[in-house]
Amino acid sequence: MRHWLLTSFVTLFVSFCNPMTANQCVQQGPRSALRPHHFPLSNHLITMPPKGKAATKPKATETPATTTSNPTTTNTTRQTASQPSEPTTVLERSQQRYEKTRPFEAARQQKGLSKLFKEDQKGWICDQLLHLTNRLPAASRSSLLGPKASKEIWWTVNGTNSIVRGLKHKPEPYTTWGTDRNGHDVGSYTIERFDERFRKRIALTALQVSSRVFRENVEREKRGFVDARSGREIIVTEREIDEEKVRRSKMAVLKKDLYGAITGRLAESVEWEDVVPIPHEEPEGALAAITYPAEYAEAMSYLRAVMTTKEYSPRCLRLTEHIIAMNPAHYTVWLYRAANIFALGISIPDEIEWLNEVALANLKNYQIWHHRHLLVEHYYPTISSDPEALAQFAKQERDFLIAILSEDTKNYHVWSYRSWLVGKLGMWEDEEELKSIEKMIDEDVRNNSAWSHRFVLVFSNPKYATPGKAATEKDEKVPQELVDREVKYAQSKAFLAPQNQSPWNYMRGVLVKGGQPLASVQGFGEEFVNKLGEGEEEEEVKSTHALDLLAEIYAEKKDNEKADLCLRRLAEKWDKIRGGYWEWRRKCLTQSETEKAPGEQVEEAEEGSAAV
Amino acid sequence: MQPNPSKLPTHPPHHKTLKFSNMTQSFISLPQELQLATSAHVKYIQSLDSRKDEYDYWLTEHLRLNGLYWGLTALHLLGHPEALPRAETIDFVLSCQHENGGFGAAPGHDAHMLSTVSAVQILAMVDAFDDLETRGRGKAQVGKYIASLQNRQTGTFAGDEWGEEDTRFLYGAFNALSLLGLLHLVDVDKAVDHIAACANFDGGYGVSPGAESHSGQIFTCVAALTIAGRKDLIDVDRLGRWLSERQIAGGGLNGRPEKKEDVCYSWWVLSSLEMIGKTHWIDKEKLTNFILSSQDTDKGGISDRPGDMVDVWHTCFGIAGLSLLDYPGLEPVDEVYCMPKSTIKRVLGR
Repeated sequence: MRHWLLTSFVTLFVSFCNPMTANQCVQQGPRSALRPHHFPLSNHLITMPPKGKAATKPKATETPATTTSNPTTTNTTRQTASQPSEPTTVLERSQQRYEKTRPFEAARQQKGLSKLFKEDQKGWICDQLLHLTNRLPAASRSSLLGPKASKEIWWTVNGTNSIVRGLKHKPEPYTTWGTDRNGHDVGSYTIERFDERFRKRIALTALQVSSRVFRENVEREKRGFVDARSGREIIVTEREIDEEKVRRSKMAVLKKDLYGAITGRLAESVEWEDVVPIPHEEPEGALAAITYPAEYAEAMSYLRAVMTTKEYSPRCLRLTEHIIAMNPAHYTVWLYRAANIFALGISIPDEIEWLNEVALANLKNYQIWHHRHLLVEHYYPTISSDPEALAQFAKQERDFLIAILSEDTKNYHVWSYRSWLVGKLGMWEDEEELKSIEKMIDEDVRNNSAWSHRFVLVFSNPKYATPGKAATEKDEKVPQELVDREVKYAQSKAFLAPQNQSPWNYMRGVLVKGGQPLASVQGFGEEFVNKLGEGEEEEEVKSTHALDLLAEIYAEKKDNEKADLCLRRLAEKWDKIRGGYWEWRRKCLTQSETEKAPGEQVEEAEEGSAAV
Repeated sequence: MQPNPSKLPTHPPHHKTLKFSNMTQSFISLPQELQLATSAHVKYIQSLDSRKDEYDYWLTEHLRLNGLYWGLTALHLLGHPEALPRAETIDFVLSCQHENGGFGAAPGHDAHMLSTVSAVQILAMVDAFDDLETRGRGKAQVGKYIASLQNRQTGTFAGDEWGEEDTRFLYGAFNALSLLGLLHLVDVDKAVDHIAACANFDGGYGVSPGAESHSGQIFTCVAALTIAGRKDLIDVDRLGRWLSERQIAGGGLNGRPEKKEDVCYSWWVLSSLEMIGKTHWIDKEKLTNFILSSQDTDKGGISDRPGDMVDVWHTCFGIAGLSLLDYPGLEPVDEVYCMPKSTIKRVLGR
């Protein structure tokens, strides 16, 4: 291709020359005695006759004896006559430089080759020839143009002051220097800004070189290399690590500044150098694909890596903490954290202290409480034989539970944990525990969780309760005083908020436990009801639960009329929303001979709306 | 209706009690014709997976497969099972499966009981057990995974190798295994004993023995006992009574005494009542109105109570609740499995 181009230019050039010269041009003339290497611009095809010296066998009719006469300089169509304005951007600067090396190109593009003055045309052709042949190997160079042609070309080039070595490619926006982190063409930068960018790139490269040295040393240290000169084993010192950390943060800043590349915290850190993260693989076009925030995705990819290798170490512990801070509901990370805690022998009380903070920040989280459960299971054997340590731990736990319950008084996870803890640490006799529950009920008598916990605390005490007895079963071992005490307690609280169901349920549960008949609390129930059935204005019902209880008691005593009255008034007025239930109770009364015992399956549901 | 307040020497009124009476006022002023915004709900569910960039989306990644189950159930009950692409659904579910047979919540997530159960339920609904055999690890492997999570000493089930125990996992195991026809892989009797131990003095059931009675846990226990054919162990009257008391003045149901009403309890409480045959012990009309008031009729979806943000969990259970309440135009729902009755008929033949 080049060869073809060259010969066509030569032909073109030839047509400008003197016919005699032309003739000689196309011949393979004898080579010049002067070799290319004798001259500074020696790697050119065309040997430039030395200025002012005797010409070597000039065959051309027009001898370039001196260079002073320059017929073309006076030519006013010369493009390079007009001085270009100062370049403001690097693109402009490079473009100007490019145009300088191709002085006739602009004119040619503007007017077309045929419209240029002859001298300019010749000048353009010579430029083209120069640039084309610039990088040809020596052998092809010498064979293409004879010495006559070379001289002619050089004479022209000399006369027009062309630049021999030109810029090869035309500078283009975007492609020549690329884009910066905002997508802007770097070519559009001012000279100063470009220089600054260049300096930053150099700085980054220098840092990368030093960083590479560091990494190699780390690798060498791992393999136990010995330094050739000192004969000592290579060790990476603390100072070097600190320097590297500084270096890395500088590199991250520069990378971000230059290319907008965000280096992940973990990828940047020296600590995680040796771990290859496993990125999340999501199938193409998944039905419910997820775009994770970059930091979370990075942390998870490192977690996958260390979980695969089953590494248990302080850095893994820190990693789990990092992930938990971002997504505390991720069950796998908790699992792995627990494994790390146990493998590293971390102090359980310390871990619990950390966990407390997380719990306070994530009140609805399940995983935290299971984690705590695991920790306690693990810790318990170490203190089980030490009553003082046990008591101390129980107190610490209770203090925290009280604190977190003050934020969310009915948190189900916390209460389930608390009930379990009573059994685990044997806290039934702990007065403080009972006091704490009473305080919570004092503060809010409607806290059903506290009532439920009280039942567990009182009735699963191995001191008097039969182990393994169901909560719903009567337990002969439970002392009567206890039953009385609990019934009284429930009743006292019922007065505070008669419509609150908790103490009523509690009282019933206690009576069942103690094997005491419902009728024993008839008097209590009747305190909440007055003048039932004696007219809308007269009737006083302070608690629907009282009415419910009384109905049951009257039915047990076979006083169906009274029982029915209670139930009817409940359905008609006092608890209309549960009308369906009350009506069913009424039906049961009339079927009282064949009434089924509790616990057996009941027949198909009665149809009918609840609205009365 | 509450007893006349002026005659009661009450404990200082709980602020929540005051809110209830305000709510009652607002219900009286509601228009009679409160409709179920079916097409809005369908669109809402379909749009869920296109919100990938929302902050909450990745935070709930550990629920992704469960979310798909909730969405799909709602669509089936609304009568639009085709609204989610079947092939992609199956592909996604199977992509969550691990070698041990269990399913994670999303591709790349570790296997867990809850997501495994959701996976089985989804595959049952779209009738893709064959795909599970040919392209997945097969039913037997899934059954093996679930069975491996049972503690053979106590009968309880863990969620995963981490060991968290919860009656939800027990119910999930029974649910999935019975659908796969593999209930015999586990010790049903021991599990039933454990449930019995979770029965409380008030008639309800808790997450573990001694834990407070909670509507959600009650559902899991009662449903598990139903699958095991051991409803005889339930004190139906006491439990029914406790459940009926969940309905508060506004018509909605709560999870525990003195707590706020929440649409999802429309399912947990109502289905439990259905299983023991006592749904007439609550006011169905009021409950229906409560659920309908919790809809976003414009953008679709149902929230936990009127005025709050919607989510797919409450959408699923709100619609399931309405189905149990015989709301017109909905497919009948199975109270034990929380799936269309037609699916259960197809899979279990009943």
